[in-house]
Amino acid sequence: MSVIAEHGGIAEHIHPEPQGFVRKYIFSLDHKIIGIQYIITAFVFFVLAGLLAEVIRIQLMHANGGFLTPEVYNEVYSVHGSAMVWLVIIPMLTGGFGNFVMPVQIGARDVAFPWLNMISFWIFPVAGLMLFSSFLMGAPVAGWTEYPPMSLQGAAGTSMWCAAIFLVGVSSTLTGMNFLVTMLKMRAPGMTYTRMPLFCWGQLATAPLLMIATTALAAALAALFMERQFGVPFYDPTRGGSPVLWQHMFWFYSHPAVYIMILPAFGIMSEVISVFSRKPVFGYRLIAFSSSAIALAGFMVWAHHMFTSGIAPYMQLPFMILTFAIAVPTGVKIFSWLATMWGGKIYLTSSMLFAIGFLALFTFGGISGIFLAAIPFDLHVHGTYFIPAHIHYVLVGGSLMGIFSGMYYWFPKLTGRYMSELWGRVHFALFVIGFSGTFLPMHYLGAMGMPRRVATYDPQFQFWNQFESISSFVMTLAILIFFVNMLYSIRHGKPAGHNPWGARTLEWQIPSPPPYYNFKHIPSVFGLPYDFTEPLPYTHLEDELTDSPVAVGAH
Amino acid sequence: MPARKPHTVETSKPGRGFWVTTAILALIAFAGWLYFWMIPTVQPWLPPEGGHPGDQVDWLFRFMASAAAVLYTFVVGYVIYFAIAYRRRKSDPPGALGFHVHDNTKLEAAWTIIPTLFVVLLSALSVNIWYVLQVQPNNGLVVESIGRQWYFTFRYPNVNGEVTSEMHLPVGVPVTLNVTSQDVIHSFWVPDMRLKADMIPGMINTIRFTPTRIGRYQIICTEFCGTEHSTMDKQIMVVEPQAQYAAWYHGWQVRNAHVGNALPTVSTGTINLAGGDAAAGRALFSQKCSACHALGPFSQRIVGPGLQGVLHDPAHPNLVDGDPATPANVAKILQSGYTGSFGHMPNQSENGLSSKDIANLVTYLNSLR
Repeated sequence: MSVIAEHGGIAEHIHPEPQGFVRKYIFSLDHKIIGIQYIITAFVFFVLAGLLAEVIRIQLMHANGGFLTPEVYNEVYSVHGSAMVWLVIIPMLTGGFGNFVMPVQIGARDVAFPWLNMISFWIFPVAGLMLFSSFLMGAPVAGWTEYPPMSLQGAAGTSMWCAAIFLVGVSSTLTGMNFLVTMLKMRAPGMTYTRMPLFCWGQLATAPLLMIATTALAAALAALFMERQFGVPFYDPTRGGSPVLWQHMFWFYSHPAVYIMILPAFGIMSEVISVFSRKPVFGYRLIAFSSSAIALAGFMVWAHHMFTSGIAPYMQLPFMILTFAIAVPTGVKIFSWLATMWGGKIYLTSSMLFAIGFLALFTFGGISGIFLAAIPFDLHVHGTYFIPAHIHYVLVGGSLMGIFSGMYYWFPKLTGRYMSELWGRVHFALFVIGFSGTFLPMHYLGAMGMPRRVATYDPQFQFWNQFESISSFVMTLAILIFFVNMLYSIRHGKPAGHNPWGARTLEWQIPSPPPYYNFKHIPSVFGLPYDFTEPLPYTHLEDELTDSPVAVGAH
Repeated sequence: MPARKPHTVETSKPGRGFWVTTAILALIAFAGWLYFWMIPTVQPWLPPEGGHPGDQVDWLFRFMASAAAVLYTFVVGYVIYFAIAYRRRKSDPPGALGFHVHDNTKLEAAWTIIPTLFVVLLSALSVNIWYVLQVQPNNGLVVESIGRQWYFTFRYPNVNGEVTSEMHLPVGVPVTLNVTSQDVIHSFWVPDMRLKADMIPGMINTIRFTPTRIGRYQIICTEFCGTEHSTMDKQIMVVEPQAQYAAWYHGWQVRNAHVGNALPTVSTGTINLAGGDAAAGRALFSQKCSACHALGPFSQRIVGPGLQGVLHDPAHPNLVDGDPATPANVAKILQSGYTGSFGHMPNQSENGLSSKDIANLVTYLNSLR
């Protein structure tokens, strides 16, 4: 058959649709169902970890605390940080959007290893429940970074934390491997690397980070677990261990991890800004290349978290300078998105508003990152509220804004319906106001002398802490509106058709929600998906939106 | 392949609105730059400054903040301007598109190269100030601070044991502060001096500063260290050197006279190391030292570390008190002992070594490679 010949041996073979609720929706092998499972699970953990954040803000309403004992307060912020990083942002952007969108965007029927994909997902809720169950046995107290020897003193739940994060790391590693093979081997004919949508470039840069960096964290966690449970001295200095060893291994993972959390969001930005500006994305090659440059350089800057830890003085300098250097490819992306908006016909949809908010807030977080990279200034603000301010500007102002933008953008593809645009705008306005009020003053508090991870603080800082707490309630209200909007729109949203935004990537050329086989015929690709003045650069898509029968093959 | 329809594409250069906006943004950016760069001695964004090199750190902050104000004004200004000026209007025909522009090599080169040059400049300035932070003053006071759950103590030269009151420092005298911990990691932060070092068990970290204003400054722990971390702090009293500091210092010398050993003084120099006899030193070592120190590599620990090549080990260039491993400094430790977070090493009155013995021992240790 000519199609097979043309497709270089990729068979037009479609498996029969799985029957029965369990095989279809619970232990599904379909990357789209698994993606939705990731999104739902991550949102559930997001609600839990978000409630913990509000508990933190209630405690900090008064300089003397008083809402919680210091012990419980320490547990609360430790689990909040761990859950937001490992159970919300990373699974949402890789397992969630990556699973649902990436295989369709490259013209594949599924990921390379569907069974592995299912296993990756099912590890994740189990690990999440383990993490939250640590509250029952005394949760970890030393923050999401769990520096020993403090974490060696922690209650039994700290070992549970090790096991939970280890498992979620296994899930990440498998997902990274799965995505990498999928993108290397399963692109549709003609989908060269320089024709891949930029969201896929974001995932392509992220997948090796997931595979390589997470293994370092796994080793560090295994060692911490063995030391706590069996007394093997890795980190205890009184028995020949090194507490700084943990810091090196932890940050060798956790610095690349911040790129795991932002590169897919960069990918979402490139798609959303181009589509809603009705313009080709500006500087496609430079954006794609800069993702890879950021991923590579991201491995070589981990010790900038350790300038106060007493690493050899001359070793500090290359870490500082390389960290400054990462600002260059990141700046290239920001400027390219600005240039994409210039001269556009900009649709200010909720998705685009969040993309605009991303540009404003993430840039601020990026700039405060430069401040932190400069050793002399870092020595002043390290370990203060400046750090939570910076991390929330990049992870909430960056990654979470990217997640919201992506949800408004792809919701019609997930469900066939729009989310309410009116409430989307209310969500955006309240969120940006609440977010800025919560995290902007933290920069000031940190620089003025308020250390982080404290249950009580100097009364001179009380005014701004109360201001932050009240702002955080506004932010919570905004998120509540988002959830109500989303849940309502699943059933009652306005029908959206297959391509409501006039987008040109492959996922918008098939029905919404996509059928389990994605494409009746694997398409051929002969151009970039961003040339709005050109006809679509695909062939073999004529049947996708018709009722023509699907050629289901036997096993 | 379907035939490509020829399109007439709307192209455009930046119009008048763009340049007017750019001019307005340039004014705002200049005001922001001026605000952060010209900020006078009273700094609203940082606590009052108590010493050197805090002034250098503040200078770097002003430099970065003024540059950031310019960059941020332009990024956010253009985002807002583009979102408003190029928004889709009701009058636009359905399917209206933006300008068909893919890229512009000159523009992309500009926004790659200019930030790169800025990174080079910022690196040079930061390295310069970093170097100031590393320079060891060759006079001044060497003090040690020890962190424990949940308090700070201090050790002063020629004061036995630990000082548990507020830390006192004479104004205008350079301080070399060695910090360590005896349990978990703490961090020693003096916001007014802009300096911080983690207190790590089994390690010594050093900060160097010169307090220049008399006053009371807070020390705050900034590394989570357990339940009472929130309340772990202490004060530094920077006082006038002659009367106040001397009185306080002498008071602690008297008060601690009966406990432990003093932190070694900075300059002893009483032992003449010339003409030491390595063979006699070897005999002394097996008699006096080998109960606690092996003749093996550093990691071969009995009570203290192994001493094979102690004077020539590039992996351990410093002695337990943080001084470089030179014959004179080894002699100093044998003379005045060591008591600190690494344990206890007897001093001359306890170990019963004569000055000649010390010279012999140092010669022997120096001969080990």
